[in-house]
Amino acid sequence: MSAVHDHSHDHNHPHAEITQDGGPGYYDLMTAAVTELLVERGLFEAGEICRQIDVLDSRTPALGAKAVARAWMDPDFKRRLLADGRVGCEELGISFYDDTQLIVLENTERVHNLIVCTLCSCYPRPVLGLPPDWYKLKPYRARAISEPRAVLAEFGAQIPDDVEVRVSDSTAIVRYLVLPRRPAGTEQFSESELANLVTRDTMIGVAVIDPPGAPRQ
Amino acid sequence: MTGQVLAPLDLRGDVVLATGEAPGFEPGDTVRVMTRSPIGHYRVPRYLRGKTGDVVAVIRPMAVDNEEEGYGRNAGSKGHYYRVAFPMAEVWPGYVGGATDQLLIEVFQTWLERA
Amino acid sequence: MTDTEQLTKRLPNDIGGTSSDPIVWSDHEMAPWEKRCHALADVLDFHKIINTEEKRRGVESLGSEMVGKLTYYERWIVCFANLLYQKQILHPSDLARKMDEVAARFAEPAPSAES
Repeated sequence: MSAVHDHSHDHNHPHAEITQDGGPGYYDLMTAAVTELLVERGLFEAGEICRQIDVLDSRTPALGAKAVARAWMDPDFKRRLLADGRVGCEELGISFYDDTQLIVLENTERVHNLIVCTLCSCYPRPVLGLPPDWYKLKPYRARAISEPRAVLAEFGAQIPDDVEVRVSDSTAIVRYLVLPRRPAGTEQFSESELANLVTRDTMIGVAVIDPPGAPRQ
Repeated sequence: MTGQVLAPLDLRGDVVLATGEAPGFEPGDTVRVMTRSPIGHYRVPRYLRGKTGDVVAVIRPMAVDNEEEGYGRNAGSKGHYYRVAFPMAEVWPGYVGGATDQLLIEVFQTWLERA
Repeated sequence: MTDTEQLTKRLPNDIGGTSSDPIVWSDHEMAPWEKRCHALADVLDFHKIINTEEKRRGVESLGSEMVGKLTYYERWIVCFANLLYQKQILHPSDLARKMDEVAARFAEPAPSAES
């Protein structure tokens, strides 16, 4: 049995992707072949790939939402999170497996933050998981940096003229997470109820959180 | 602390920093992005070349220049990245939005000069 | 600037400010091979066999036609193959043979539960 076969059964798809004509796709074959060759040469173990798939599967926007809700509830935590996003998240058990730093950008009455990576697809994967396709495609990458207000409007977020828009373009070791504004009417909410309000898009900064019960824009 | 200069230390003045260890810029410094056009690999987008902005933070820790990293350097020769804020109107002529709207980006030290 | 000069100076992925196309809200469930490809990228970086910045450089150096036509993870795996040849970790013939071998394995009937 090959190295790839040995370890992948836990991931509900034992082999390369099967295309409609019954065989795996070309790039799927290439991925399997490169992996097997490197494992045969002892450069890493097949189990590391499976482990990393589990790591990726465990990272979802729920982690970021937990950090946001905690920051809303606990001013001391919020201070630590804003001082060093990575240290703040690590306090909650969120590890930074990709060796990036994290800056948390706080939205306020006066400031709205938006994140983008114009050169590739840098994204706070340890806390949000993998980015959505639109974040990696040309229109968002090209336009979020040059006409953020038009982009926000397309996403349904109208930012008043007197609110400063700040766009952060990720290019190096730092990733960004937007700390959205806590909506009005949530004073009695528990931390988990608050976390349920926080979506991926609000932590990218392309959406704002509506007050509970408000009609969607 | 990410992105902040170290607080003044009691021993400052007695402790000698290694070459390159002290950041060349501090928050508040005005810098200009150089206009060169490297062949091969770069991490400073073209839209930024020649633009003037203000340093808002020194990124910690020091790190390898990603234009060297792209050719296989994994350690050593670390330098400073700076988080620099540019007025949107400075970067995009005809920008539509608030006068104080900003673009923020990390730029490696070799791309910055004092403006 | 001539067209070829532009091709040399601007990386295919350097697109900030270059489009006015509408954003199409899109996402897809990752295919299992795409997830394996992503995990492979991470493992290659953990071991610094191919670091993340080399991957970015490798994708850019596929050229604008391939960058434009291949999907995200298709670009990654082709770039890994190229970089592994450059580093003399793999030989192009190794990969060709191994791909044939993997394809042949799929052509075999599935083993029974007892085997």
